[in-house]
Amino acid sequence: MSKVKPRGKVPKKATIDEVIEIKTLIRHPMHSGRMKDKDGKNIPRQIINSFKVDFEGKEIFKMKLEPSISTNPYIAFPYKAKKTGTFNFEWKDDSGNTYTMKRKMTVS
Amino acid sequence: MKTIKMIKISRRNAIALMLGTAGYIMSSGIAFAGKEQVLKRINEITKGKGAKELDIFLDLPEIAENGNQVKVNFEIESEMTKENYIKNVYILADGNPAPDVAKFSFTPDMGMCSATTRIRLSKTQNVVLVAENNKNEYFMTKSKVKVTIGGCGG
Amino acid sequence: MSKYTRRSFVKTAALSATALSMPSIAFGALPKVVVIGGGAGGATAAKYIAKDSKGKVDVTLIEASKRYYTCFFSNLYLGDFRNYGSIGHNYYGLAVNRGVNVVHEWAKSVDPAAKKINLGSGGSVSYDKLVVSPGIDLKYDSINGYSADVQSKMPHAWKSGTQVQLLKNKVKGMKKGGTFVMVPPPNPYRCPPGPYERVSMIAHQFKKSNPTAKIVVLDPKKKFSKMGLFQEAWQKHYPGMIEWIGVDTHGGLKNINAATMEFETDLDTFKADAASVVPAQQAGAIAMTAGINKGDWCPIVAGTMQSQADKNIYVLGDASIAKSMPKSGFSANSQAKVAANHIRGSLTGSKVFPARYSNTCWSLVATNDGVKVGASYKAGAEKIDVTSKFISKTGESSDLRKATYEESIGWYEGITSDMFS
Repeated sequence: MSKVKPRGKVPKKATIDEVIEIKTLIRHPMHSGRMKDKDGKNIPRQIINSFKVDFEGKEIFKMKLEPSISTNPYIAFPYKAKKTGTFNFEWKDDSGNTYTMKRKMTVS
Repeated sequence: MKTIKMIKISRRNAIALMLGTAGYIMSSGIAFAGKEQVLKRINEITKGKGAKELDIFLDLPEIAENGNQVKVNFEIESEMTKENYIKNVYILADGNPAPDVAKFSFTPDMGMCSATTRIRLSKTQNVVLVAENNKNEYFMTKSKVKVTIGGCGG
Repeated sequence: MSKYTRRSFVKTAALSATALSMPSIAFGALPKVVVIGGGAGGATAAKYIAKDSKGKVDVTLIEASKRYYTCFFSNLYLGDFRNYGSIGHNYYGLAVNRGVNVVHEWAKSVDPAAKKINLGSGGSVSYDKLVVSPGIDLKYDSINGYSADVQSKMPHAWKSGTQVQLLKNKVKGMKKGGTFVMVPPPNPYRCPPGPYERVSMIAHQFKKSNPTAKIVVLDPKKKFSKMGLFQEAWQKHYPGMIEWIGVDTHGGLKNINAATMEFETDLDTFKADAASVVPAQQAGAIAMTAGINKGDWCPIVAGTMQSQADKNIYVLGDASIAKSMPKSGFSANSQAKVAANHIRGSLTGSKVFPARYSNTCWSLVATNDGVKVGASYKAGAEKIDVTSKFISKTGESSDLRKATYEESIGWYEGITSDMFS
């Protein structure tokens, strides 16, 4: 029912050696498996369990998410700008679905 | 169910005594990770070496008015060079149903060891950060968060 | 001076503003109180001064609208729990039952030195004591791209009436599976839980008729009133529909493009199919003309609700800084009674009781699921202090939530009758 939607902010431009902050947010209910629906039935666990970021094909950061991560996972982290290129963001959920997002950054 | 719970309690008491920590109260009906599970996880993560307690910057509210979304931010001083960098950071909590909250894996490319996310806290509890560097050395810090239900008209 | 003559005079006086300077002559000896604004603060103050002084004080209420639509419960109209007519009230009861001189005019400015109010029509009214209860004005320019023109496209609906009707049309007319963007105001503002009750009521509409719709809340705040309760309710009743994003996540609303319906934040640009934008607020303009404001709001004396700048002027409700009380209809009603008691005391020598205030903010989150937060207060040395407080808990039984909702309906009937009859 809920549409998973990734969002993210990477500065469009950075100077060389600048440490930038990358922010991401993905719309996801993060059903922990311990919540009940309004009929009192257990909602099965369904969470985003991993997050991975590549820059120009090289992995720079990843995260393993557990049910204790809030609904609509928000993840922010730094990156030291070296060259112009593209970030590839990838989220995976318990059903094996993959959600991706690309962001470009120009470094001068 | 009842038997398991009883075993759990006795095991907890035993461990609590072993560790020399004060006993803690278990909420009836709901099993929370508890301190000993967190200690067990620290033991697993550090491969039995244990973690040195350091004054790591772990930013959490002292009082969270909403346990559904508690912002956590940390920053660990590190060169973040190939020779010397923080490889993994684990966030654990002793008052949620399971001790693990998240694991962050860093690379020297990041230039800095820092991250922010939002976590669920079922009740007042300790949030523990364990960091592992590329030399397989371990460091930790913890922070207590009081979880209340927020309101206030204004 | 029989009540009859006074009443019939009231009726003719109300017809023409030029006649307004007459009552003080006609009633010579009677002290004169003028109340500006006929909402929860003003209507209550006018009623209680008139009622309890038993004809010893001449009370005039200046209110531009002939029909008053309450802000409280306007969200329930959005959710189809009330019809529009049921949140509208008139001033007939105040005029007829209480002998209040009700004047439907625009109060343009206050001259505190001359103790006079200038009206939009050119007339003026003088006073011995003035009650200023004008509610809020919206600071349209507090958000880039928002304006008085854009309010028809993205209604704030933070003053009740046609804006709320407009918003309901936008909600009901939104395309299937579309995205509704809600921008709540920054603190301090009228009705702290209001934006989140609104989100709940819009979600309730969508659940019925547009179940794949989404609501994105771009909040300028990091947290909000009854946050845990609302978020629990949203997850329970509208799973996956509502995405609340606080300022520490989206980084701030940079601009609204009304033409493309785009909301630009530091995190992302959000595209809306329908939207409600509530800008920052300040005390109603009339308060500023009286020079009783300090910045956007009017500081008061905690024990009496008198303006700190002028002891002949009382400020009630949203326009005041009544810390620690929130800006709510309940607060204004409670403050009005304290002010009315003090005004009568100073004009007629009647007994003045120590100030006691109270407030409760109910919010309906879904059918028969009501939550509340409230407190009792007394006057402290510097501000109004909380003496006790309460709030609904997460995980409450459906029976208790239903009882809370029913209590709010009872309160609505009670306060509107207290204000207008």
